[in-house]
Amino acid sequence: MSALYRILKYAAILLWSAFVIAPFLWALTTSFKTANGITGGPTYIPWLQYQPSLEGWRLLFRSGGGGIQIGGPYLDSLIVTISASLISLVLGTLAAYGLSRFTFRAGFVRNADITFFFISQRIMPPVVLAIPFFLMLQFLGLLDTKFGLIIVYIALLMPIAVWVMVDFFNTVPRELDESAMLDGCSPFETFWRVILPNSKPGLVVAGLFCLIFGWNDFFFAFTLTFTQTQLLPVAIVALNSSVTPWWSLSAAALVSVAPLVAVAFVLESYLSRGNLAGAIR
Amino acid sequence: MSLVATELTRRVDGVVHLDSVSCVLERGRFYVVVGPTLSGKTSLLHALAGLDAPDIGTITFDGADLAAVPVWSRSVSMVYQQFINYPHLTVYDNIAFPLRRRRLAHAEIESRVRAIAETVSLTPFLERLPGALSGGQQQRVALARSLVKGSDLLLLDEPLINLDYKLREQLREEFLNIFSAQSRSILVYTTAEPNEALLFGAEVLVMHEGRLLQVGSAQSVYARPATATVARIFSDPPMNLVPGSLDDAALRLGDDVRLPRPRHFGPLPPGPYVFGIHPGDIAPNPSGIAAEVELAEISGSETFLHVHHAEMRLVAHLSGVYAYALGENVQIALDGAKLFAFTPDGELAAAPTSGG
Amino acid sequence: MARIDLDQLAHSYDRSGTRPAYAVYPFTHAWEDGETYALLGPSGCGKTTLLNIMSGIVHPSEGRVRFDGVDVTELPTARRNIAQVFQFPVIYRTMSVFENLAFPLRCRQLPQREIEQRVGEVAELLNLSGQLQRSALRLSSDAKQLISLGRGLVRNDVAAILLDEPLTVIDPQLKFELRRKLKEVNRRYRLTLIYVTHDQTEAMTLANKVVVMNQGRIVQIGTPQELFERPEDAFVGYFIGSPAMNMLECRLAEGGVDASGLHIAFPGADKRGIKVGAKLAFGVRPEYVAITDAPAADAIPAVLVDLKSVGAFRIATLGIGAHRVKAKMRADQPIPVDRMFVRFTDGRRLLYADDRLVAVA
Repeated sequence: MSALYRILKYAAILLWSAFVIAPFLWALTTSFKTANGITGGPTYIPWLQYQPSLEGWRLLFRSGGGGIQIGGPYLDSLIVTISASLISLVLGTLAAYGLSRFTFRAGFVRNADITFFFISQRIMPPVVLAIPFFLMLQFLGLLDTKFGLIIVYIALLMPIAVWVMVDFFNTVPRELDESAMLDGCSPFETFWRVILPNSKPGLVVAGLFCLIFGWNDFFFAFTLTFTQTQLLPVAIVALNSSVTPWWSLSAAALVSVAPLVAVAFVLESYLSRGNLAGAIR
Repeated sequence: MSLVATELTRRVDGVVHLDSVSCVLERGRFYVVVGPTLSGKTSLLHALAGLDAPDIGTITFDGADLAAVPVWSRSVSMVYQQFINYPHLTVYDNIAFPLRRRRLAHAEIESRVRAIAETVSLTPFLERLPGALSGGQQQRVALARSLVKGSDLLLLDEPLINLDYKLREQLREEFLNIFSAQSRSILVYTTAEPNEALLFGAEVLVMHEGRLLQVGSAQSVYARPATATVARIFSDPPMNLVPGSLDDAALRLGDDVRLPRPRHFGPLPPGPYVFGIHPGDIAPNPSGIAAEVELAEISGSETFLHVHHAEMRLVAHLSGVYAYALGENVQIALDGAKLFAFTPDGELAAAPTSGG
Repeated sequence: MARIDLDQLAHSYDRSGTRPAYAVYPFTHAWEDGETYALLGPSGCGKTTLLNIMSGIVHPSEGRVRFDGVDVTELPTARRNIAQVFQFPVIYRTMSVFENLAFPLRCRQLPQREIEQRVGEVAELLNLSGQLQRSALRLSSDAKQLISLGRGLVRNDVAAILLDEPLTVIDPQLKFELRRKLKEVNRRYRLTLIYVTHDQTEAMTLANKVVVMNQGRIVQIGTPQELFERPEDAFVGYFIGSPAMNMLECRLAEGGVDASGLHIAFPGADKRGIKVGAKLAFGVRPEYVAITDAPAADAIPAVLVDLKSVGAFRIATLGIGAHRVKAKMRADQPIPVDRMFVRFTDGRRLLYADDRLVAVA
């Protein structure tokens, strides 16, 4: 009974792992193939089944001949995503702390309504926002600039940060704030010296969400930039021509997913660490 | 040199937390606020600390109104029921935290932290994080942090309630030793357990439903509770209360129990009363009234015997462990000399002279 | 219900070392059919491990578990016919009280008539008959806990009911009623009940036999009265009761024991049954320390160090020789003013060797 159960359990785990890893494996093998390697049916083992080639990878760093010079867009994407995420995290965390700890009243509007207002930004489909954003950036002369994109991304990412952090701060006992104030901290000192150092798990989650959503956005990068600024997802699409270059698309996909994987690995230990154990108990 | 609270009233969403509470707290004294859960104990501490502003009422310290002084500029510390410490700081840094906010000299901080850590037996743990300590030790850290400042007002909100009872016993004794050395602070300690207040031998403030019912020494409140409500709150188990009546010669309890009129009732006029007796003052005795056992609750070295005689339900608090079966017939002695009398609206009319 | 045998049982979570680091040291014990037990001890004493071994959540590293002689050590929880009541009441929020109680029977696909009959019986016992059609969600916490228990009672194949700190989250005002109800159910149904708790009041009120555990070992099994009057282990004297038992380190002397120069009469104390080099201690509960003003042969001169009044009782701290002992007495008992002696009640003087009880006088 228990032996069979164990076998079934591991079988299920293996199956799922294969399901998750397969696309990456496929992308990895494909990136080293040429047109011949792909049309010949499914192949997996280099040198035996197909001749590996670096052509797909070279295209990423070449201009002309279907190449895209990935370096520039990559840097732009990093700059835009990281700046927007950091600013969203800072503003969002401050807003969330206020919403969690202080009572606001404006007419019928209460804290919960304000929080919902933030989140409601994400309910609207991007298509609805595209034209207003376009017009606003045009008015400000920020179309096709990194700065303009950063502003748009902040509008998209800050609700996520607020949402995650309000939830997080609500789990931090108020007595911790009170203790800090009794110990002589002003409200801002309380936030800075006591609450923030104990908010790493929340900040990591919020930051990760911001990075993922920011990095993966295609729609706004596509509609609000043209030639001066080009972000990675848009650049990758530009690879496509009459013949789909699976090899270079695969290489580009791997390159674009790499920073997120790296971030996830680095932050994983923070996610599981309960830094507030000593306070809440 | 005192803290004076006048008519503190606070409502939150229509619920009364404090109802016109006035009290005078003197420096160098130890006050215990006793009341059941939601009686307003914590609300009172929050108001005294300045964490919650009362809707009505004032608090003055040495004559100066505190209303405009923000919490972080006051000389107040507080220990909570939950073990509240700064999780990201070591025990040393936790205790040093309030001193650093005051920008004390490094050497001064060092010597004060070490001294207080010694008092609360935390010296071996100074480099640890609070999360790596047991509950009792975490509460010692919180206590050390609140003591190290030497505040004018030290508030402790049921600090032992989340510890198991052996640790509670031990810390209670330590607290008493530590507190007796705090000659310049006002100490306010809340608890739901009257026995804790009796053990501390402190000045007691009895609270119920946001109101302050009685103030006095623990012994005097126990011996002469002002009302039947105080009598129940300030007795563990709660005082037995039985409606009855009194005439010139005798006293009637319930339907059929008659006792000779106790001498300490003096000139009390005849009429209906609610009679009270502390559970510790009744015990099984062959000459007593017949009663049936509902349950014998045994707590280590004590037995709480719940019985009923017709509609009259009584609890006897016995020292020692005794086995009683459910439904067993016993005789319970009621000593008239130990009876309290309350008027039908709950005011104390007579109390035993010996002090129960 | 069944008899549960734990045979040479032991458990260690870490078996990497040469010697196992035991969470529960090897022992053999039988939980008699129809008896009510409490497993009492401080946190970390091994009681939860033991509970989990019986319910099948933890597989013991040594020994066997038998229900009515049948070895169930290898069986998973679901096949052991154990009913368990947890700290937090488990109720199915969308179901009525009746459906909550009927749930285990529905899972076993019993006919409707039998379900109705059994649920009716259990509801009657737990005083829930009037509330069967109500939503379980609206009930008070003690009634919810009764339903958790009731789901164990409706099954007629249950070997034992394990209750893990069942009253911890119940409002203090409701605890009394629930304790009474549980006690009555015990008496009427002769169930095999095992309470696991760190609360001595819970253990001693609800159980006929209390099993006290400390640091992975069972240190005493006895009635509440036995735990109070004759603690078999110094830990029991300390853990059960407040104030704890007085313990005075001592050595054997003529006709009694000698506690750093203080002679305490202890008829019958001798070397028999005491290992050479064992640490000896004289123990007496504060309830059995009497204060008198009359000198007598076995009375020890004492001085009053501290006196605390706790309602109807007083706790005196007394200095005798180099020792401090606590005495508990009624508040109206007079305390001598100038000369004071203490006497220890006959039959309540205890002698411990290496923390185990060796003599009573």
